[in-house]
Amino acid sequence: MTTPSDSLKLLVVDDHEAVLGGTVMTLEKAYPMATIRTASTVQSAQTELSYGTPDLLMMDLSIPIAPGETSEIEAGIELLRSLLERYPDLNIVVQSAHVRSLVRLKPAIDSHQAGFTIADKNLPMQEMLTKVDWALKGLIYTPRDMRAGIEVKPEWLEVLRLAFKEGLQDKAIAEEMNVAERTVRHYWTKVQDALEVYPEAGKNIRIQTEIQAREEGLID
Amino acid sequence: MPTSKAPSPNRPTAARATWQRQLFPGVTVIVLVVVLRLLGMLQAVEWEALDSFLRWRPAEPTDQRLLIVGINESDIQQVGTYPIPDAKLAALMTQLQKSEPRAIGLDVYRDFPVEPGYADLVEVFTQSPRVFGIDKITQEPVAPPPSLPPEQVGFNDFPLDRDGFVRRAFLGAFPPASHPDAEQFRLAFPLLLAEAYLADESLLLENGRRNPDNMRFGDTELIRFAAHTGGYVRADATGVQMLVNVRSGASPFEVVSMTDILTGQVDEALIRDRVVLIGITTPSIKDQFNTAATNAPTHPVVYGVEMHAHVTSQILSAVFDDRRLITTWPDGWEYLWIGVWGGMGMVLVRFVIKPAWYVLSVGLLGLGLVGLSLALLWLAGWWLPVIPALIAFTFNGLVLPGFYLYDQTLRSRIAERQRVIEETYDAIHNGPLQTLALLRRQQDTLSTQASEQLSNLNQELRTVYHRLQQESLATTDQLQLGSQQMVDLRNALHEVLYEVYNETLQRSFPGFDTLKFKVVKFEPLQESWLTAADRRSLCRLFEEMLCNVGKHAVGAKRLTIDCHTTDTENLIRVADNGKGNHPLSASEPQSSPAASSGGRGTQQAQDLAARLHGEFQRTFQKTGTVCEIRWPLKRPRSWWQVHIWWKH
Repeated sequence: MTTPSDSLKLLVVDDHEAVLGGTVMTLEKAYPMATIRTASTVQSAQTELSYGTPDLLMMDLSIPIAPGETSEIEAGIELLRSLLERYPDLNIVVQSAHVRSLVRLKPAIDSHQAGFTIADKNLPMQEMLTKVDWALKGLIYTPRDMRAGIEVKPEWLEVLRLAFKEGLQDKAIAEEMNVAERTVRHYWTKVQDALEVYPEAGKNIRIQTEIQAREEGLID
Repeated sequence: MPTSKAPSPNRPTAARATWQRQLFPGVTVIVLVVVLRLLGMLQAVEWEALDSFLRWRPAEPTDQRLLIVGINESDIQQVGTYPIPDAKLAALMTQLQKSEPRAIGLDVYRDFPVEPGYADLVEVFTQSPRVFGIDKITQEPVAPPPSLPPEQVGFNDFPLDRDGFVRRAFLGAFPPASHPDAEQFRLAFPLLLAEAYLADESLLLENGRRNPDNMRFGDTELIRFAAHTGGYVRADATGVQMLVNVRSGASPFEVVSMTDILTGQVDEALIRDRVVLIGITTPSIKDQFNTAATNAPTHPVVYGVEMHAHVTSQILSAVFDDRRLITTWPDGWEYLWIGVWGGMGMVLVRFVIKPAWYVLSVGLLGLGLVGLSLALLWLAGWWLPVIPALIAFTFNGLVLPGFYLYDQTLRSRIAERQRVIEETYDAIHNGPLQTLALLRRQQDTLSTQASEQLSNLNQELRTVYHRLQQESLATTDQLQLGSQQMVDLRNALHEVLYEVYNETLQRSFPGFDTLKFKVVKFEPLQESWLTAADRRSLCRLFEEMLCNVGKHAVGAKRLTIDCHTTDTENLIRVADNGKGNHPLSASEPQSSPAASSGGRGTQQAQDLAARLHGEFQRTFQKTGTVCEIRWPLKRPRSWWQVHIWWKH
C-alpha cells in the first residue's frame, strides 16, 4: 500500500491537537518521503492552499474559521464546498462522523474531478490510510449512509453502455462522448463507488464493475 | 450555523425576506401619507406650515413704493361721526394730490353719498384719473361710487380658505351670475393700483408668455393659482387668483393717519410717486382679514387696507426687485419629494446603529427638512410639501424601527437559543467525542465489551446532537419531511432537493423496493428570484413527486431524477419506468396534463407553477411515468406582488 514518492505533498486540517498529532504520525510512517503540512483553522488552510495545491488534503469537518473561535461543522462544510468549487483536481479525504451533514454536498462531490474519500474518525488508522491511498489514486469512496441505494449520473451509465455493450476502450468512449479520456477514467471511479466496487488485491476492477453493473441492472 | 452570522452568498433568501419585511411597512406609510394628502386631510396643516414659514422669514425692508393712510380710532373720534363724511375724504385726497402720488386707492365704500360734502367728493372722483375706488362683487355685493368711472373701480374681495384665512388674492374675476353686470371681467383693487403705478413705467398688463393664463407686466408673470396648487386640494380657483407672498417684518409699510395728512405733518417724500392706500385701521370698524402669515401687531388679523397693500406691493416688488412670488412644484415632483423623505426614514436605521445617535439623527434630519423648506421658501419662494414629507420621514424613522425592534428581539431570542444549542453541541463534539474517537482507535487493545459500550456511548451522544439540531432550526428556514427529518431550506436549492431525495428514498414504500438504481442529476438551479415560500413549495412538490413513485409505481426498476437549469428555464423532473398504477392512468391512458382531474396535490402543483409562470405536467405512458415542473429564469413580476406571495 505504501507508495513512497519523494515529491508527495499532504495538507492535514484538524483543530484537535491530539488527533492532528496521531494522524500526522501515521501518515509520516506510511509516506516517509512526503512533506506534511498542517492547518487548524479554515483561514490557515486557505493560506496553506494559496502557497500551492498539495497532492492531497485531509480535513476534519468541525473546525474553527479563525484561531480562537469555536469549531463548527458548518465552517468545515463551507470550506469543503469552496474547495470542490475552486480546486476540481484536488484529492480530498474528509475525516468525519457527520456523514449526514455531507449529504447536501453530494451533487458537488459527484462533479468533483479528483479523488474524494470519506474516512470515519472512529475507524482504526489502517482504514484511514486506505482511504488516503484511494484518494491519491483518484478514487471515490462515500459511505453507504450518503447514498440512497445505487445512484448514478446519466453520463456514467453511458460509459457503462459504451464499454460493456459496444466494447469500446476508454479512448474511444471519450471520443464518442466528446470528453477527455481523463474524464472517462473519472466516470469509472464514480460508477465504481456507486456500485461499491473498490480495489482489491488480485481482482480486475473493470470486470468486477461489469459483473456488479449487470447484477444491478445498469446494463441489460 | 448561527443565524447571527452574515448570510453567505448562497443564502439570499433570508436577507431578501428581511428586506421585504422592512420594505412593506415603510412603503405602506408613504402610500398612506400620499392618499391622506390627496383626500385633503393634510390641507389644514400644510396651510399652517406655510403661514408659519412666511412669518418666520427675516424681516424685509419697509416698502418704499406704498403709503397707507389709516383712518384710525382717534381720527374717527376727532371727526365725531361715522361713516367719515365725504367732505373729509375729498379734503384728504386733495391734500394728498398736492404731493403727486402715482395712484390713490380709497378702500372705503362710497356707494351712496355721506353728507356733508358729497359734491366735493364727486369733483375729486371725476377730475382725478389717478383716484381709484372699490366695490364688492361676491356674496352681498356693494356698488361702486356712482360718480367714479368704471375703469377706476376695482373689487376688494378676497378668496377665503376653508379655515377662514386669506392666503390667496384675486387679480381679476367675472362677478357671480347674480351680479347686475355679470358679463364684465373685473380687475381686483390691488391689481388696479399696481397697474396704475406700472403704467408710468410703460409696463402694461398683458397675458403671460410662458403660460397664457398668467397675467404679466413686462417680464414678470403673476403665477396663477390652480385648484391643486401646493398643499391645496380641490380649491375654488375661480377667476384669476395668486398666492399672497406677504411682506415679512413688523412694519412692512409706512402708515400715517388721516389727521397727519390733513394737518400737513407728513413728509412729501412719503407720498410722491407712491401708491397711497386709504382705509380704515381701527378694530371698531370691521374691515379685517384673518391671516397668520404676517407679523402685524394685530396678528392674526390685518386690516383690509393692509391686505391690499401686501398684494400691490407683491406685484410691484416682483416687477422691480425680482422679489419671489410663491411657486409650487408640479404634483408629481411633490409626491416624489414625499417618497424620497419616506425612503430616507426607512434606510436611516441601516446606517445609524446606536439608539441614542439614531434618535438624534432622526431629529436632526427632520429639523434639516424643516430648515431646508423654510430656506427654499425664503430664498426661492418655493412652497414644498414639508408636512407630508416630515410625517413620512419621522413615521418611517421612529415608529417603524420600534416595530422592527419587536420583530428583531423575537428573532434574536430564537437565534440566541439556537446558538446555545449549537455551542452545546460543538462542545460535546470537540471534547468527549474526540476523546472517544481516540479511544476507539485503540479498540484492538480493549475488551470486546468495552469496545461495544464505547460504540454505544458514541451513538448516544450523536443522538443528542441530532435532536438538538432539529430543534434549533427556525421554523421558516426548515422543512419537515415525511420521514420526520428536518431539512435546512437556507442552502442552495439543488442541495436541499438532494437532501429531500436522499431522505425520501429511505422511506419504505412498495414502489421503492423494486428500484434497482437511480439516475440522478442535481445541478445548481437559477433561484435568485424565488421566495422562501416558493422554495418550500418546490421542495414539498419534489417530495410528493418521489412519494408518488413510491406509492403508485409498479415494478419500476429505474428512477430518473433531473434537476438542472437550461438557458431559459429551470427544470425538476422525476421519471420512473414502472407500469404506472397511478390513480389517473386508468381513465386517461395516454399522455395528458393532469390539470382538471388532479387531486389536491396536483392543484397545489398547478398553483405553484402558475405563480412561477411555469408549467407542471404529469404524463403516464406505457414505458413509465414522468412528472415535471419547469419555470422561466426571468422574473416577470413586480416587487409588490412578490411580497404578497412571500407573505402567504
